[in-house]
Amino acid sequence: MRAAWLNSDIVPGARTIAGGLLVGAWAVAGAWYYFTPEYTLVGYQPLQPVSFSHSVHAGQLGMDCRYCHTGVEKSWYANIPESALCMNCHNQVLRDDPRLTLVSESALEGRSIDWIHVHRKPDYVFFNHAVHVSRGVGCVRCHDKVNEMDSVRHALSLSMSSCLDCHRDPAPRLCPPSQVYNLDWKPISATTQLADGRKFVAQWDVRASSYCSACHR
Amino acid sequence: MNRTQPRGISNDRDRTRRRNAGASDANESGALGHIDVSHGLGGMDDVVTRRHFVKIMSASCLLAGVGLTGCRRPVETIVPFTRLPEGYIHGVSQYYATAMPTRDSAVPLVVRTHEGRPVKIEGNAEHPDQPTTDSQEHHHRGTDRHAQASVLSLYDPDRARRFGRNGENAPRQQALDFLASVSRKFEPIGGKGLHLLMERSSSPSRGRLQSLIRRRLPHAQWHVYEPVDYDVHRQAASLLFGKQVRPVFRLERARRILSLDSDFLAAEENSHRTIHSLAISRRLNSSDQEPSRLYVAESLYSLTGANADHRLSLSPSRLLLLAELTCAEFIAQSITKHRETDTAKLAGELRRRASPLPHSTSQWAKTCVADLVAAGPGSLVLAGYRQPLLVHLIAHALNLWLGSVGRTVEYVEAPARPELSIADLAAELEAGRVDTLVVLGGNPVYTAPADLDWTRAQRKATTVIRLGQYEDETSAVSDWQIPQAHYLESWGDARTGDGTVVPVQPLIEPLFGGLTEIEVLARLGGLTPTNPYEIVRDTFRELCKEGVFEERWRRFLHDGFLVGSASPAVRVGEVDWSILSAALSETENHKTPRAHQIEVVYARDTRVDDGRHANNGWLQELPDPVTKITWDNVIAISPKTAKQLGLQVTDKDGKDLRAPIVRLELNGRAIEGPIWVQPGLADHTVGLALGYGRTAAGRVGTGVGFNAYSLRVSRAPHHATGANLSKTGRTYPLACTQNHASMEGRPIVREANLEVYRANSRFARAMDSDTSRPARSPALYPNPLARMSTSARHQWGMSIDLQACVGCAACVVACQSENNIPIVGREQVRLHREMHWLRVDRYFAGPAENPEMLNQPMLCQHCESAPCESVCPVNATVHNDEGLNVMVYNRCVGTRYCSNNCPFKVRRFNYFDYHRRPLARLNVSPLVSATDGLWDTKRWWHDPDRGSRPEDEWNLLKLVQNPDVTVRMRGVMEKCTFCLQRIEQAKIERKVAAADSNRVEVEDDSFHTACEQACPAGAIVFGNVKSPHSLVAVSKADARSYQVLDHLNLNARVTYLARVRNPNPAMPDYHPRPHSTEEYLKHGGRLEGGFSSVTGTSLKTAGRPGGER
Repeated sequence: MRAAWLNSDIVPGARTIAGGLLVGAWAVAGAWYYFTPEYTLVGYQPLQPVSFSHSVHAGQLGMDCRYCHTGVEKSWYANIPESALCMNCHNQVLRDDPRLTLVSESALEGRSIDWIHVHRKPDYVFFNHAVHVSRGVGCVRCHDKVNEMDSVRHALSLSMSSCLDCHRDPAPRLCPPSQVYNLDWKPISATTQLADGRKFVAQWDVRASSYCSACHR
Repeated sequence: MNRTQPRGISNDRDRTRRRNAGASDANESGALGHIDVSHGLGGMDDVVTRRHFVKIMSASCLLAGVGLTGCRRPVETIVPFTRLPEGYIHGVSQYYATAMPTRDSAVPLVVRTHEGRPVKIEGNAEHPDQPTTDSQEHHHRGTDRHAQASVLSLYDPDRARRFGRNGENAPRQQALDFLASVSRKFEPIGGKGLHLLMERSSSPSRGRLQSLIRRRLPHAQWHVYEPVDYDVHRQAASLLFGKQVRPVFRLERARRILSLDSDFLAAEENSHRTIHSLAISRRLNSSDQEPSRLYVAESLYSLTGANADHRLSLSPSRLLLLAELTCAEFIAQSITKHRETDTAKLAGELRRRASPLPHSTSQWAKTCVADLVAAGPGSLVLAGYRQPLLVHLIAHALNLWLGSVGRTVEYVEAPARPELSIADLAAELEAGRVDTLVVLGGNPVYTAPADLDWTRAQRKATTVIRLGQYEDETSAVSDWQIPQAHYLESWGDARTGDGTVVPVQPLIEPLFGGLTEIEVLARLGGLTPTNPYEIVRDTFRELCKEGVFEERWRRFLHDGFLVGSASPAVRVGEVDWSILSAALSETENHKTPRAHQIEVVYARDTRVDDGRHANNGWLQELPDPVTKITWDNVIAISPKTAKQLGLQVTDKDGKDLRAPIVRLELNGRAIEGPIWVQPGLADHTVGLALGYGRTAAGRVGTGVGFNAYSLRVSRAPHHATGANLSKTGRTYPLACTQNHASMEGRPIVREANLEVYRANSRFARAMDSDTSRPARSPALYPNPLARMSTSARHQWGMSIDLQACVGCAACVVACQSENNIPIVGREQVRLHREMHWLRVDRYFAGPAENPEMLNQPMLCQHCESAPCESVCPVNATVHNDEGLNVMVYNRCVGTRYCSNNCPFKVRRFNYFDYHRRPLARLNVSPLVSATDGLWDTKRWWHDPDRGSRPEDEWNLLKLVQNPDVTVRMRGVMEKCTFCLQRIEQAKIERKVAAADSNRVEVEDDSFHTACEQACPAGAIVFGNVKSPHSLVAVSKADARSYQVLDHLNLNARVTYLARVRNPNPAMPDYHPRPHSTEEYLKHGGRLEGGFSSVTGTSLKTAGRPGGER
């Protein structure tokens, strides 16, 4: 019954070699996966229960992020708006649109919508939105150009190194406080960005901590 | 089992119990307490056959290995509100003012809720009952350990969860209808045959409803029973002064305090406030101040005795004589004022009765009284609740004569309490005159005096309705069981110690649909409204007449108190001598105890109170402040008595602490329990803590310890004499967190008498913790923090004032609550695996008959040159630039080298998954166990977080966790983080406010660590040591500041302020140096020229990092 090619009499140490190859292949595959953007969820774009389009609301209509994500300046958490907030406009606009049935029902009947979580961080990371947005870290820095996405896509890696890059050297990445929610804002050039960034770091006394305790508690 | 049903009701559970009878036997050690292991042990006795094993192994290989299913990423959903509650911001905690009702008072609180669930209790610092002295107003924000732990009781899965009738489930509506029918039945007959048994309460609403119901049902009888009752204070004051008054003590203004068995720091009402007052009276900011002097005469070794400057231990019968002698001495010493003949006669009688006291004791009393007289109005005499009426009368009379009334003690209005006692109710029950008995709260079947035979008596009522938080001993013999709402889910009100009205407002809907006491009363009385919210509002309407009601009501709820509602002070006149004489003739003197005539003292337990907190794991695992025993009560006896009886507590290799079990017989009743040899206890006296030996407390509290109530009779509720101790020959394993009591001459806690401090205020720094070396060697390496701290804005540090700390351990529970610290259970504590990040070390010094006790809160010292860091192979414990020694859980692999290298033993290791496994199954693999009838491995597969906790436990206990702190898993080390989450939150709040400015330095005193915030004494100060004017920097600059084990060059960020005692040189037991200092000198210690003052700061970059050295 035994496969002849595995017979150690024919190939000495065949089992060891075969086993080694198998383990090696797993290890390579694991490491490979670890280094792909896939590992950090980049490209994740789940189908949401409501086909809400950021490109329409934040892009075409130019709505401010904070109209819906009301907690972003006060809390660690940038909340998903309640259904009643959608209905502020949609009881006038597109009132009977079938795409909005779920939302209007939810607002009427008090049944929540299960949105799918896209930008996730591990439980042991304590990230705080409020402190970042009030100190010149724009939304676009982590979420990319959401105003051009129909359905939200995890466009950038939110790995620990992406946090640390900025924490170690914030100057090239800070934006003027007025432009935090402007997803289309771009510095005139890399040189002006650096000059402005250094000015902000000095004026606001920015000392982003890169010690473990900054994010892990 | 239906998940919504309470555990312990359905037949399923009985089956489980029977099936596991064999399994639980293994866990029992003798007849005494053990953790109830009968819950959910389904898999324990499954026989693991070879076939079964192979099946499991292949299944788990399949699950873990093939297809990398372990790497699956589950889809997570976000469920937003459909309509956002007003003012709610997700992720930002909300705070509500409320109060925890106690017997005669309440603890004003501000409670933090997170996503609608209360998670942390804090004191209400705005409450108007603040200690005031001549010089300044003080801010009191502390709480006590029971308030801190009460949030765990809210989520207790063993709470009563259903309405029950004769043990069967009854729909809620049926129970409410029944209450209405009782009301209809009794109305025509004026309530004849209706009896209500209640606990004490300060609630104005309850008082109002009672008087309303009295009008409707005039023949209904009201009874009140508290196993530990403080009403004697009011009774004595009212009797002596002939007015309805009760005393309010103002210790902050006292210079000399005499306590006659009054454990006002732990066992009396409002101890959190009293601790603060005492700390203020002892405050020592400069050497020209004099701390107050505390004399304590007591039978047990209490926390108050531990903090005394002069402590006298006397058996209860002798204590009575001492009180009498004190009164006689007082009359003799201030005879010019009290020359009347009846006074002299009284003094003569008192002195005659007190004649059996030995000379040394009478000398003690005489000198003490002379000191009190000299201090005049700055004196205060307190009598403990256990003392007979006579002692209370003496204490009040002395206060009046000393002129202390209006200064250190105030008498305020207190309405009379017409309620009858439980003994009256028992008599009515025996006579068959009780038709319907309503038991509101309490647990009389467990706590009632043994002679009343309450279980039998209660059955004589035709119908018994019970409102209780648990389905406990009393529920078992009641016809109707109504679940009682926890105070955090109730509408109610209360009065604090000074009489200020405080709201009790709910922070969450009742988890199990419970009712409050006032709602049940309103329904029984046929009153409207029955909604407790409306009842409280109606009461409030009567309490505040002026102003716009809604405005005042909202302010009341917002602030958590009603301004100006404190009970008005009453002027009290002269003492009526005849009352004192009459009380004297009524009080009989007992004989001096002997070996076979032992005196018994029943004490309110420091942790479970009278048994009401028995199912609270935080309190069960909190070490007793004096004995340091957890998960048990003991029969405390003095070393001499133990020697006479040939009893000895053994501790083999420090790993197997065993106490002999003795049989204590008293008037035909007997209990068995382990002894504990307590230095400083009066000879031939035993102390029994109440509240243990519960038979139906719940998963945590059932079967822990022995039941002291079974000895206690209504004639002698506090002391009894004539007991006999006999050996049983058996031993009992105890769990004690600190077996060693002596400092062995090392200056760990440093202290001096006031004269020494005045001569050399820097005495503590001069003490040398390594006497084996001639002088301190300088550090070989530069301080590693010096380089990295240059970038930091803050340098965190802590200073703990041992002069203020009394060792109440509120900080320990606060830390446990804030930092998600698990309980580990009795067996693990026996292996010294308790998880408390902050503990209170207790040391004894001096003779075993009456040693001095010292406390020291011990937590991670955040050493700048931390020994733990240099031995960690994976960099899991490192410093950050703000001087914190941080623990990176994700890096930790559990070598425990750090713990071995820590000189303070403050690092805690998760030997098991304490959060996710029930205590009884900590070391049972999920491969071979089952919970709720499901194989644990399968349960784990569906929800990896849940572990082998039963569903109901898991669903509730996860709610108590602080979301800002990681819940640690098995195999990682943990320790005090200086409340890192609070530091970061404070920094974030500051930065958000700063926006594009540079005002980012956290302001001093703008946030507190959990221990600091909970400390009723204000002994702990935390802050930025880099800022020279911060409170902590000022405290560290104090002359008394020192570091523990400073010879190790650790540069600890936690420093202590040495304790200064203020003994009276005229006293017979005076000694010029504290016993601990004597021991230090005996071991070759030096009192001057120590190294501490020689070396400078190693950290030049920071202003005052690590404090003064």
